Amino acid sequence: MLPLPLLLTLALPVRAEPPHVFGVRPALAPLYTPICSKTPPTWKCLDGSLEIPFSAVNDDYCDCPDGSDEPGTSACPNTTFYCRNEGHLGAVIPSSRVRDGLCEPECCDGSDEPEGLCPNKCEETGREYREQVEAERKLRKTGSKIRSTYIAHAQKEKKRLEKELVSIEAEIAERQAEVDKLKAHKEKTESISAATMELKKQSPLYFSLITHSKALKSFQRVHKKLKERERLLGDILTGLRDGYNPNYQDMAVLEAVRGWEAAEGLPPKGSEDDDVVVNSPAEEEELEEGAWTEGQLEWQLNDLINQDYLDLLLQHETYLESLEKPSLLHDLSSYIPDSIRPQYESVRDTLISTLQSVGLIKGGSNEVTEEANRARIAFEDAEKRLRESSENKEDTEQELGRLFSAEGFGKSGEWKKLQDVCLEKDTGEYIYEVCLFGSAKQKAKTGSHSNLGDFSHWNTQFSTDDPQYYSKQYYTGGTRCWNGPERSLTLHLSCGTENVLHSVSEPEKCEYHIVGQTPALCLPLEIEENPKVEL
Amino acid sequence: MLASTLRHVFLALCILPGAISFKPHDFKTCSQSGFCRRGRGLAERAQAADKWVSPYSVDSGSLVFSPGKDSVKATVKSSLYPHINFELELRVHEDGVVRVRMDEVNGLRKRYDEAASWSLVGEPKLSKTVQWVHEKGQIRGLIGEVKDLEALISFSPLRVALIRNGREEVVLNGQGLLHMEHFRQKTFPVAEETESGEDAEPIAGDQTVLAAAGPDTRWFEGEREDAYWEEQFGSWTDSKPKGPESFSIDINFPSHGHVYGIPQHATRLALPSTAGEEPTYSDPYRLFNADVFEYLASSPVSLYGSIPLMHAHSAESTIAVLNLVGSETWIDIQYPSESSTNTHWISESGIIDIFLLPGPTASDVFQQYARLTGTPALPAEWSLGYHQCRWNYVDSNDVRDVQKRFDEEDMPLEVLWLDIEYSKDHKYFIWDEKSFPDPVEMVQDVEAIGRKMVVIVDPHLKRTNDYPVYKKASELQVLVKPASGEGEYEGWCWSGSSSWVDFFNPASWPWWQSLFKIEGDSDEWHWSKSTEGVFIWNDMNEPSVFNGPEISMPRDNIHYGGWEHRDVHNINGMLFQNQTSKALLARSTPAKRPFVLTRSFFAGSQRFGAMWTGDNMGTWEHMAIGVPMVLSNGIAGMTFSGADVGGFFGNPDPEMLVRWYQVGIFAPFFRAHAHIDTKRREPYLLEEPHKSIVRKFLKLRYAMLPVWYTAFREASVTGVPILRPQYVVLPKDKNGFAIDDQYYIGKGLLVKPVVAPGVSQISVYLGEDQVYYNYFDHQVYRGSAHGSNVSVPAALDQIPLLRRGGSIIATKERPRRSSPLMKNDPFTLTIALSNTGYAEGELYLDAGDDFSYQSGEIVWRRFTAEVFKSAKALSIRNADMVPGHQNDAVDGVSLTNYDRENAFARSIKDVRVERIALLGLPWKPKGVKSQAGVELDWTYAAGVASTGTKEGTASVLVIKNPPVTITGTWAITIQE
Repeated sequence: MLPLPLLLTLALPVRAEPPHVFGVRPALAPLYTPICSKTPPTWKCLDGSLEIPFSAVNDDYCDCPDGSDEPGTSACPNTTFYCRNEGHLGAVIPSSRVRDGLCEPECCDGSDEPEGLCPNKCEETGREYREQVEAERKLRKTGSKIRSTYIAHAQKEKKRLEKELVSIEAEIAERQAEVDKLKAHKEKTESISAATMELKKQSPLYFSLITHSKALKSFQRVHKKLKERERLLGDILTGLRDGYNPNYQDMAVLEAVRGWEAAEGLPPKGSEDDDVVVNSPAEEEELEEGAWTEGQLEWQLNDLINQDYLDLLLQHETYLESLEKPSLLHDLSSYIPDSIRPQYESVRDTLISTLQSVGLIKGGSNEVTEEANRARIAFEDAEKRLRESSENKEDTEQELGRLFSAEGFGKSGEWKKLQDVCLEKDTGEYIYEVCLFGSAKQKAKTGSHSNLGDFSHWNTQFSTDDPQYYSKQYYTGGTRCWNGPERSLTLHLSCGTENVLHSVSEPEKCEYHIVGQTPALCLPLEIEENPKVEL
Repeated sequence: MLASTLRHVFLALCILPGAISFKPHDFKTCSQSGFCRRGRGLAERAQAADKWVSPYSVDSGSLVFSPGKDSVKATVKSSLYPHINFELELRVHEDGVVRVRMDEVNGLRKRYDEAASWSLVGEPKLSKTVQWVHEKGQIRGLIGEVKDLEALISFSPLRVALIRNGREEVVLNGQGLLHMEHFRQKTFPVAEETESGEDAEPIAGDQTVLAAAGPDTRWFEGEREDAYWEEQFGSWTDSKPKGPESFSIDINFPSHGHVYGIPQHATRLALPSTAGEEPTYSDPYRLFNADVFEYLASSPVSLYGSIPLMHAHSAESTIAVLNLVGSETWIDIQYPSESSTNTHWISESGIIDIFLLPGPTASDVFQQYARLTGTPALPAEWSLGYHQCRWNYVDSNDVRDVQKRFDEEDMPLEVLWLDIEYSKDHKYFIWDEKSFPDPVEMVQDVEAIGRKMVVIVDPHLKRTNDYPVYKKASELQVLVKPASGEGEYEGWCWSGSSSWVDFFNPASWPWWQSLFKIEGDSDEWHWSKSTEGVFIWNDMNEPSVFNGPEISMPRDNIHYGGWEHRDVHNINGMLFQNQTSKALLARSTPAKRPFVLTRSFFAGSQRFGAMWTGDNMGTWEHMAIGVPMVLSNGIAGMTFSGADVGGFFGNPDPEMLVRWYQVGIFAPFFRAHAHIDTKRREPYLLEEPHKSIVRKFLKLRYAMLPVWYTAFREASVTGVPILRPQYVVLPKDKNGFAIDDQYYIGKGLLVKPVVAPGVSQISVYLGEDQVYYNYFDHQVYRGSAHGSNVSVPAALDQIPLLRRGGSIIATKERPRRSSPLMKNDPFTLTIALSNTGYAEGELYLDAGDDFSYQSGEIVWRRFTAEVFKSAKALSIRNADMVPGHQNDAVDGVSLTNYDRENAFARSIKDVRVERIALLGLPWKPKGVKSQAGVELDWTYAAGVASTGTKEGTASVLVIKNPPVTITGTWAITIQE
């Protein structure tokens, strides 16, 4: 029993104890000495508040405000009684259990009750206790061997990650150089074409395209929001249907459930083929020629919106030009007699290029902007690759950081091996799955499942140096319960030779507790498991 | 199609918030109830009329006296229906109670007249000494030894009054609102020539023009036949095959300005008005047992139980009226003046069976009521401990873990409870083996620490043939029938499609009792997976039917004997608890005291166990209203009552939870409970300092268990409540009549629970010229004859608990894990001297859980502390209380062969008095001597004397380990 820790010191050798130290912890026994200078001898309450006759110690009447004068009786409530348990370990019980007619299992010597009521079982209890301690030692020994392989794994991981980091850094340097180079090129081409582009952007077509694009984006956003809301309401209603409690005594709830079943084509809850869709709710719609289906909307709308409109504008112009009737000058050749046409064309081309170069006629600027565009895209691609590498580096560094941290895989990295190891417990109705450091699920045999949350933290009620810190994992932020909280899971772990889940309970609605074992908690025997034992 | 469905769904979503609060549309208001509308309409017409004379009168020639002259019968006629005969009967009981019955004679049908047979504990003894005086137009029955009481029947119009010393205490039909709707044939409106020659338009629905035959009844009954033959409420139709059969009557208290009682309502103890000028509530108080989800904290709306008993109080007298009717009843209350009260009672069916309880003191009223409906059963002593409940402890290891956590925290715990989820598919008795694979072992683990378990069994049975309880009930045909009278009524409850046991059917009784046998007939199913440490919680017995009108049963359902559900609705819940409690009695040999908690109750339920105030909410308002609700239940017989600590719904913050424990330890029934959607809130889960505060007060409850048990003995014999309101204790102090936020426990303690946040100091009202002492620090407070308010510390770790000067209480200051473990612990006597230097008190003990007390195996002691001026000494005595009280020591038996050395007394003969504390001694003692003259060990702390006017800390004399036992007769002398 935790609040009353068993004393680990072995009891003193058997000897008759004087009545005034009955029920006193050995360490405090020297304080129960009379003040012999007074007649009759007196004694001071341990808090110093009162001096009483020494005969009043353990006389089954509470004299001291702090209750210290009755260590061996029940006279002072809220104090403790020490049973020596010779042959076993001494133990402390609350004074409310002294002389209550029940033999306390903690007091195997029966000293909490009058002589003859409780047999002294300390020999047997001590033996059982030692056997149990030995069994636990063995378990810990075996488990800690496994644990050390976990630690070795973490070391190896560390090396691997460090190596990876080096190569990522090299890659980053390489990609940075590429980015620098492309950036220079891009800037150069852009400076030439910027003015031209500005002119082109004045096109009403381009303007309209941008407006369309913006409108589409807005529609997409609104649509997404509505979809999200519909999904949320659907989840709520599904949750309502799965988890509604007839206690709400509420026909409105029942009707909501029935309405939902009708809308979704679900069978009435509780019928044989529960959760099986009986008919598709979405009626076949007749689509207008060329109209997008819902799937297309979902997948292709983005492509449409994210088109490079500038590029499109340029393509458009190129296309137009290809259609455009050549100007009179261009067209003159049709009036030229075939015989002299070659000469004419040669002269004309020279003229046009001259005119173009002095800006008297338009043409050919497309090549400039297209090149700028290509340079820009190349630069952006390079930048993206660089970013990927940097992110990769960050991830790797983070992973390295988590590897030996108390917030992550433990100071020795002993938990790294268990990352994404999924354990299951079948309780009949459900299978509970916990992917360590990942997420936990409650899977119904019918196929549906609820998320019980993602790994969030260890047992922060204890300091990271306390082994208790690693005895609980908290998974939070699971699927919200109808009329309740988000589902969450507390995983209670102890040392064992296998990674295994033993039992599942739900003491509060949607708050799950799973008890399991793992070798990662089997500390080597030389490490004191419970360093703070009260003496 | 999709759009409309979605709209429906969204609509449902919008409604959802409403699902977690009181839903007024689930329950009728008076205006939605046909007979209440008719009753109130009649009162309104009377109010508006210039002249109003009741049409009912006594045929003076028809008077017939019984042979013993204890009663008189007479024919009553209504001038509206001269061909209908009513019979009025007035009976005088031995103790002066006057019973007034009225029924229709030789009518088309028979009115339900069995309410009294379920409610009364036996046939009341009638008076042999009534003197009848027949005068012109009236008859007077003179009652009592000195004939100071008189029952008066005036003939025309009919009027009945109870008169004491010439003063009218209560008057029936003084306002002429009496109406008993006789059975009639259904008439169908036909279009025909009326007298005026115009075509009468048939009016649709249930409103039809009265057929014009005989005298004009419209001035009295109204213009229309309003809801005579059918009534709609929501989607439900109540077919009314018997037609109108309601009755209403005005009951006036011309000289009483306060009325109390008619539980259960979430309202003040002194009932606020519902009629007259600026009434507090616009609807009448309603008595219609109903499962009201998240009820409001101030409302006349009916709740789970109904006791049609009303106290009327003034500085001169306390009297009461019991209107014994099992059908739905509405009660209007108005206060025409500060010193008078008019009430108007409207019931749906049944006969008039009204008991006038003449008092004249509150304690007389309690005794008179107890003689009628029985005294509260003496509960098992353990059931006064702390009950820990939750919907739900999820499995047997959860139960073990909760117990372990209490023990680790050294918090006393008596009983662990299991709500409905222990049962497989809510088939009560049947353990869900996945979660409770080892129920017997689990209970035994709880019993090992002297504790008990309580497991829920509800009255709805899942309609499936793999449920042996339903199967057998169906075979025996003891299930409630639908309106057709054939087959089984089917409704919806926890267990889905369910049927209800009809406990009005005697054939259900032996069968129901057999279910609880642990070792029973091997051929029949019985609860073998149970132990004698398992007790029962009867919930949902209003009955609650999720898909029924007003969350209950259709009123036209048929019970045993062909009676409609409407006739017996309010009695229904009591019968369930009755049979369960009999089942537990029959379970053990020799019998152990049963413990059955009920939610629904009626007059008489106190004989069968405890009740609680149902599904309250975790709010300060609900915590506060729980106090007057428990007081109100107490004065109406349901003394073993309490409100769930923490509130059923919601998550109380630590401050609220601590305060709620402080309320709980001063309630007769002390249970913490929580809804399935709430966070766990067992007290060990609290952080400091809250955890230690709750531990301290749990231990205080256990230290005071002897005080509670002693008060329960008194209640079980006299009917006086455990918690006594101000008007009961100080009946002449007008300032206290409306006070309901403080109360006395037994005779010697006054408590005012803190029911608001952020309190550090509280004002307590002391309505008498007496000295009071703070229970904890012995601070002296002085009351006055005109009443005074004193300020008492009330920080979160403090409870305003005062000892009344003149009291002695016995406590056990060694609280343990459970009450049986405290059996041999020594007592502490604390004497709070009165302002005249006197004190007395008593202590009752017995084996605690069996019936050996009925054969005299008891210890009942009387303690006194008295100053003998002549001897210059104060003497403390412990005397045997039984001699001289053989007839009122325990309920129902006379202990003529009482032996002070009975087996129980011998079993605790060594139990010491370890400490005697004397508060307010005016002088420092020279010596404290035992009877043998031996000087005892004592200490004296100087302080304020009980006499005089000083305030401050009282003087305290403590006698340590005196050489006396609790069962011994002794005296200790303190010399001045």
